[in-house]
Amino acid sequence: MLEVNGVFKTFNAGTPNEVRALRGVDLTIDDGSFVIVIGTNGSGKSTLLNAVAGGFFVDRGTIRLGGADITSWPEHRRASLIGRVFQNPFSGTAPSMSIAENLVLAARRGRPRGLGWALSRSMRGEFRDRVRRLNMRLEERLDNPIGSLSGGQRQALTLLMASWLKPKLLLLDEHTAALDPKSADQVIQLSDDIVARDRLTTLMVTHSMQQAAQMGDRLVMMHRGSVIHDFRGAEKQRLRANDLLNRFEEVRRAEQLDESAADMLRRLYV
Amino acid sequence: MLLLIGAFTIGLILSLLAFGVFISFRIFAFPDITADGSITLGGAVAGVLLVANVHPVLATAAAFGAGALAGSATGVLHTRFKINGLLSGILVMTALYSINLHIMGKSNLPLMSQRTFTSMADSAAQRWIGAVSMQVLGWEVSSRDAGVFVFSLVAALVVGVLLYLFFRTNLGTAMQAAGDNAQMIRALGVNVDNMIVLGLALSNGLIAMSGGLLVQYQGFADVQMGIGMVVWGLASIIIGEALVGVRDLGFVIIGAVMGSVLFRLIVALALRGGLNPNDLKLITAGFVFIALVLPSLLRRFKRAPAIEAET
Repeated sequence: MLEVNGVFKTFNAGTPNEVRALRGVDLTIDDGSFVIVIGTNGSGKSTLLNAVAGGFFVDRGTIRLGGADITSWPEHRRASLIGRVFQNPFSGTAPSMSIAENLVLAARRGRPRGLGWALSRSMRGEFRDRVRRLNMRLEERLDNPIGSLSGGQRQALTLLMASWLKPKLLLLDEHTAALDPKSADQVIQLSDDIVARDRLTTLMVTHSMQQAAQMGDRLVMMHRGSVIHDFRGAEKQRLRANDLLNRFEEVRRAEQLDESAADMLRRLYV
Repeated sequence: MLLLIGAFTIGLILSLLAFGVFISFRIFAFPDITADGSITLGGAVAGVLLVANVHPVLATAAAFGAGALAGSATGVLHTRFKINGLLSGILVMTALYSINLHIMGKSNLPLMSQRTFTSMADSAAQRWIGAVSMQVLGWEVSSRDAGVFVFSLVAALVVGVLLYLFFRTNLGTAMQAAGDNAQMIRALGVNVDNMIVLGLALSNGLIAMSGGLLVQYQGFADVQMGIGMVVWGLASIIIGEALVGVRDLGFVIIGAVMGSVLFRLIVALALRGGLNPNDLKLITAGFVFIALVLPSLLRRFKRAPAIEAET
């Protein structure tokens, strides 16, 4: 279970570039739940994911995952609990290393790394099996450098790597935004399959209203650094891409008022 | 022949330097100037210990350890204190100059009759061939030269193989990945800062070991012996990559040995052909400059006609 409690984060505090990215985010995600996060640009959705992953420390609030308070854990320590897929398809894999070597690195996520032999014969068999299930014919190219693959292939492998050891939490940060439509569909299908098969607790940020409507069992909408809508269960299932667009339109209209007036209206009507 | 064997031997000894430079420059893309100081450090530590009649194996191991400490210092300056990588290396290199003088007690430390790996290789070779010299392809080769050559060859190969095996372990692959894509390996639970410190320790350990062996070969340690050695190692790596390519780590390591030897041979021949030794560093720097610039120039030349063909 992920519990984000009263989390605040301000970047460049006290300078003209000050950005109040998170302004009191509360979010609790049950085990096995697949939560979609949407929001306008600068709403703090990617910042929220980064706060959970440990890309920076939050100014205030706590983050608990699987019963442990990870608020002060550095990024590499949180990795023992969290699997991640980045927006940039080149961020999740080591380009000059082979597919097999990358998988070996993922197979020891969060575990001590000593002078044991990295790649054993039995592991190669398992790699081939699991890579075959991606249906990208990569199983014959296990010794090729990852840098020679396409963005879609690299993103599919990153997804496989992030879920190789079942993580307590899977973070997907607009992981199809930089892909062509066909690759994006493939990676989305794969994400759905992997999350469903392993019943992974998942937090996924997306720009695509279609993905937001079709995927997951809960949807969270962020604006100006906090959660403004939270749809679950039947309500989430009824949501269509158009409904979401309408919600965004409401937000945009509220934006034209000043902040306090918008807050008042939101309290009254939303 | 003497010239060739000498050049081969020094090239093999300096291939350890090339391994070290490979780790910092190629794996971490970290321009680590510490090398200039740590190769001298290795020479100084090994030299002083040998003068105190310590066993050459122990003295060489101590040189490795001292270099590893120097490398960690650079790594800690860079990762913990957030000092620019180049500057961290310069700081440690500068500090090492004084430290090396302190260790040696003077600027030049001759090894006269001390037992070194050279003298050990000499007596082993004498026992093997049963004479103080032998004929190789019609040339007279002393047992000292032959023994030291074989020893250096074995040393370079053993260290090269160990390095290759290291990069096939879990720790080694994680280190490679830390240089290749820090964000990715952090998300897989590796402390990248620690990897950089460890990598620079290994790099400078190898470089200092190279210095320790060099001192035993040339028979003296000198506080100036490290100047320009980074560029030297880089030149070896570049030649090696040109010779065998970068397809696999094994190729790169073999290439580093070959590059180091070839570079030393070229230098020896050039010096014999009348090159002023004072110009050596200038020419080395020029060579590395050309090697760095040439690939992108070639690509530009190649691309120009390709664009024409498309239109």
